[in-house]
Amino acid sequence: MARLELQRVTKSLANGQRVLRDIDCAVNDGELISMVGPSGCGKSTLLRCIAGLEAITSGEIRIGEQRVNDLPPRQRNVAMVFQNHALYPHMTVYQNLAFGLRVRHVARAAVDARVRRTAARLGLDALLGRYPRELSGGQRQRTALGRAMLREPGVFLLDEPLSSLDIPLRAEMRRELSALHQSLGTTMVYVTHDQSEALSLGQRVVVLADGAIEQIDTPDGIYQAPRNRFVAGFVGWPPMNFLSEDWLHDTGLDTQCIEYGIRPERLRLRPGARGDFSIIGKLERIESFGGEWQVEISRQGSRVIARVPPETKLQRGAELRLWFRREDLYAFDRATGSRMQAWR
Amino acid sequence: MSGRGMVLRASRYAVLIVMALATLFPLLWVTSIAFMRSPERFAGTPPLWPDHPTLVNMVNIVHQQRIGHYFLNSLIVAAATTPLSVLVAGLAGYALAQAKFRGHRLVSWVVMFAVLVPNQALVLPLFEMFSAVHLVNHYAALVLPAAANAVSIVLIQAYARAIPKDILDAARIDGASEWRTFFSVVVPLMAPMLAAVAVLTFVVSWNDFMWPMIAMQKVDMQTLPVALASIDREHYQNIGLMAAGATVAILPMMLVFLASQRYYLRAVSAGSVTD
Ligand SMILES: Nc1ncnc2c1ncn2[C@@H]1O[C@H](COP(=O)(O)OP(=O)(O)O)[C@@H](O)[C@H]1O
Ligand SMILES: [Mg+2]
Repeated sequence: MARLELQRVTKSLANGQRVLRDIDCAVNDGELISMVGPSGCGKSTLLRCIAGLEAITSGEIRIGEQRVNDLPPRQRNVAMVFQNHALYPHMTVYQNLAFGLRVRHVARAAVDARVRRTAARLGLDALLGRYPRELSGGQRQRTALGRAMLREPGVFLLDEPLSSLDIPLRAEMRRELSALHQSLGTTMVYVTHDQSEALSLGQRVVVLADGAIEQIDTPDGIYQAPRNRFVAGFVGWPPMNFLSEDWLHDTGLDTQCIEYGIRPERLRLRPGARGDFSIIGKLERIESFGGEWQVEISRQGSRVIARVPPETKLQRGAELRLWFRREDLYAFDRATGSRMQAWR
Repeated sequence: MSGRGMVLRASRYAVLIVMALATLFPLLWVTSIAFMRSPERFAGTPPLWPDHPTLVNMVNIVHQQRIGHYFLNSLIVAAATTPLSVLVAGLAGYALAQAKFRGHRLVSWVVMFAVLVPNQALVLPLFEMFSAVHLVNHYAALVLPAAANAVSIVLIQAYARAIPKDILDAARIDGASEWRTFFSVVVPLMAPMLAAVAVLTFVVSWNDFMWPMIAMQKVDMQTLPVALASIDREHYQNIGLMAAGATVAILPMMLVFLASQRYYLRAVSAGSVTD
């Protein structure tokens, strides 16, 4: 178990592209932190740098108070789970699990005991003799997890480990992972491009964009108090509505220098208190999610989505008015994109 | 199965059988001639089948012509060349495919270019080199030049490119050194291609003629093809004797191919590294 600290970590490629820019972040001992950002923002590169698979250009990486910049992967006390599992195809599950210990010259009996204990914990006991190609997606995933767990690393790195699974399995594995983290108590860095996964799994969430950190906070903090327009738009599903001027004519709000956003679940079909704002547009689309509907209204080409309780009277093509409280609006400086804290 | 499917299948097999026979025919004929009595009698083409099968040619080639001795020379050279060449090509091909070192592009091009250089063009410089270090008439003169084979390297390089980088990284994170990664992960994944290259190397070494003829000037050091050629010059009218020599020469290649065909076929049918 170990604390992980990144100080002004920068990585440039040979062609001059800056893949990571001034990454500053500390992961506490035993913490599960998730890192999320759009595809290509540098998440995998950051994990590979932490693992020692790639060198950083400048900055410092510390694992358990030791500077590891110049250490090869095997001396960093990290384990990694790869997106496509990266199991050794020519080895059985048992051999896959045991490889890391065999390489480190752990005695055969000790290896056997640890492999069997980990396999039992992950429900792999009956599969030890199988080859990866004979496993289902979930079983492969467990094997990859087991291989990483077995070495009892100081830091556990996971690079989109669930993205190759189908959706129900993904939810199940997510719960398992969370339980696993609680019982192991190992420091974990969980990378994903799926914001809902990041929020539900991480004790804290790091939002990355274009190689730089946009925000680090708890899931609730990220959701409720995004630091800027990017984070606000990236976190939450459906994404926050950004209201162009057309929507806000009659509210008297300053739309010159400020851009406003509202989360879909904050829009309502009926007015609440006096002084609530409203927007009006043509009802374009109704999508039912059982207990909840998503409705989309449009006005001069711009669209707003709301999550509302089912309402049979709604008619597609008709005008629909949606209400919201003034304090539910988010305000962003148009020039810098940062959120104006004073608004609320 | 439908009638149409049956016809299709039958005609496919018919074509395959014809091709197999066309390939096997010369081999079988040579083998058959090896067991013919005094075939020198035949003025023109020997018959397909011996009237009175005999071992006289076999006895002659083994006892009088000491074919066993040359066979052993060839075997020593091929047996030393094959693992060495596969190891070198395996390491080089893997490194060129997966490692990013300074100048790897240049080295790749040089190797590609080396494929185009005909072996005959190398004979003279090789002879100079091996004379200079007094290795002419040593097995090393045949083994060392064959240890690094450009064709093998290119074949393995192409195959090694398909190894997913994540698997190699996983091994590194698991704590394996580069050597351990190579032998425990890369070699098993490349096994079909390594086997194919091994067969290829063995066959090329076994059949090689020009360089062994020049490098091995002592009769005792000659390899089988060179020895067979001089038997041919002495007994050019004795087809039976020649056929017996050829039959003996083919045997080890048959064995090598049979032993490795499982891997060999996997490589040439371009199976991927990870299933
Ligand atoms: N080996 C590489 N060669 C060239 N570009 C690379 C390489 N690795 C990463 N990149 C670039 O770095 C950026 C970040 O990539 P990556 O870390 O894989 O992003 P993510 O995992 O967030 O999707 C991308 O723009 C990608 O094009
Ligand atoms: Mg990635």
